[in-house]
Amino acid sequence: MERDLQQKVLLALATLAAPLVSGQEIIATQASLDPSQPEVNVMGFADVSYISRDGSDNDGFAIGQAVAHLSASLGHSFSAFGEFTATARDSEYSFEVERLIVKYDFSDRLKLSAGRYHTPIGYWNSAFHHGAWLQTTTTRPEMVKFGSRIVPIHFVGILMEGSLPSRDLGLEYKAGFGNGRHANIARAGDAGDINGNKAWMLQFNVNPRGYRPLDAGIGFYTDEVEPGIGPPVEESTFSAHVAWSRESPEVIVEYLRSSHELVTDSSVSGDVDAWYAQFAYRLPDGRKDWKPYLRIERTRVDNSDPLLGADGLDYDGSILGVRWDFNPYASLKAEYRNEEFDNGGRENNFRVQVAFVLSKL
Amino acid sequence: MNLKCCKKFILIGAAAAVCLSGPTVTAEETVASSPIAIVVHKDTQVSDLSLEELRSIFLADQQFWADRTRIILLVRAPQSDERDFVLNRIYQMTEAEFRQYWIAKMFRAEVPRGPKIVFSTNMALDLVVAIPGSISFMRANEVTDAVRVVRIDGFLPSEPGYPLN
Repeated sequence: MERDLQQKVLLALATLAAPLVSGQEIIATQASLDPSQPEVNVMGFADVSYISRDGSDNDGFAIGQAVAHLSASLGHSFSAFGEFTATARDSEYSFEVERLIVKYDFSDRLKLSAGRYHTPIGYWNSAFHHGAWLQTTTTRPEMVKFGSRIVPIHFVGILMEGSLPSRDLGLEYKAGFGNGRHANIARAGDAGDINGNKAWMLQFNVNPRGYRPLDAGIGFYTDEVEPGIGPPVEESTFSAHVAWSRESPEVIVEYLRSSHELVTDSSVSGDVDAWYAQFAYRLPDGRKDWKPYLRIERTRVDNSDPLLGADGLDYDGSILGVRWDFNPYASLKAEYRNEEFDNGGRENNFRVQVAFVLSKL
Repeated sequence: MNLKCCKKFILIGAAAAVCLSGPTVTAEETVASSPIAIVVHKDTQVSDLSLEELRSIFLADQQFWADRTRIILLVRAPQSDERDFVLNRIYQMTEAEFRQYWIAKMFRAEVPRGPKIVFSTNMALDLVVAIPGSISFMRANEVTDAVRVVRIDGFLPSEPGYPLN
């Protein structure tokens, strides 16, 4: 048991160190400038946090996720991506293949891929993935946190994406088809769909050329879910978002409405309403390493919801923090969080995080 | 303190201020002697781009030419005036924002690799000549006949109204 744990810790360290170990290889591939030749890029992300929660006896430091990201260009149009994580648990590390994608780009209009994805619902889930350094805040919004039961974070299947003729509107689409949720509804059906009904999703985004980096979009996702306990449920989710990703200011607003209905009895149904709004501002000139931010969140689940009503997922949160980019590849974030989980009373929580990226860029 | 002494202090102060303020020549002033030309491989079927189209290409929002040839972006390494100019005028980003942009772009699986880095104008020229679909930038007075110069918003670098002056 102890030996098993040691092996897993070594694997975790190896995951984190992969970009460093392969540094020589990176330099070698960088030197190869022939685009028809295969080229492998490796990146790593990791974070360490100090967490303090009201009424908790477990305040202290926590290793976040160690993330290894590989991308390989295998000729002009064919590429492969992989994202692998090691996450600290109470007595071990859990390892996960977060994303594994093979992709063929026919043109800007059509890019076809297959694999395991972060489901293209809303903005955050397909914009930030597992690198804490990339996101302004220490954590994801509650509605799209890893392990969320509200949003199917991953899906396994095929994805078609590209741009549509729209002159300067910058209209883009994503259409996906694949396995829906597993019996454990926080997970995707990695080894096969739990039923014959596939999940499908469609998302449209606009990125107007004269208003970069504005991104606005709507999406729809549907699936028939077979939870481990209970009868099958029809799930339909609508999402909308607006994001201005430049840092002065940074604005991200996302809304999600999910409807659940028993397949065998449509009178048993319920909805989920969830949203968050995040504002940040990179300070000018001599203080440009500093970025204060604010996020407000709310999630409401109907008690009558046949899939999630009994899970106690209501949430209210207000987060006030500041990010300090003390190094081009590392940041320190400090947050005050006023949160309420499942109407259980307000908590005052604090979180400090050091996050970094290992990259040759 | 007499007037002569005051003048001495003012002169010393002014000299110190000049020394402490560091170099004041910007990338834009450095390239002012020659505008930045956008060059592509000779066989690329493009002769005119709007500044917004150019921005889409440099941001890898557009990754293919009209004939479906993959666009290969060649960017100068840090610490070059040409790169600073392009980051400022085309990307409208700082060096840190540029780095974060490409890391995020790769992490989202939108591109399998970042732009290819070149270390000199000669290296950029050699690679644009050698790689079909490639695009790069350099001072207009360093361009040779081996590559094609692209009009931006209808203007060549030598013409008044060229936006990358």
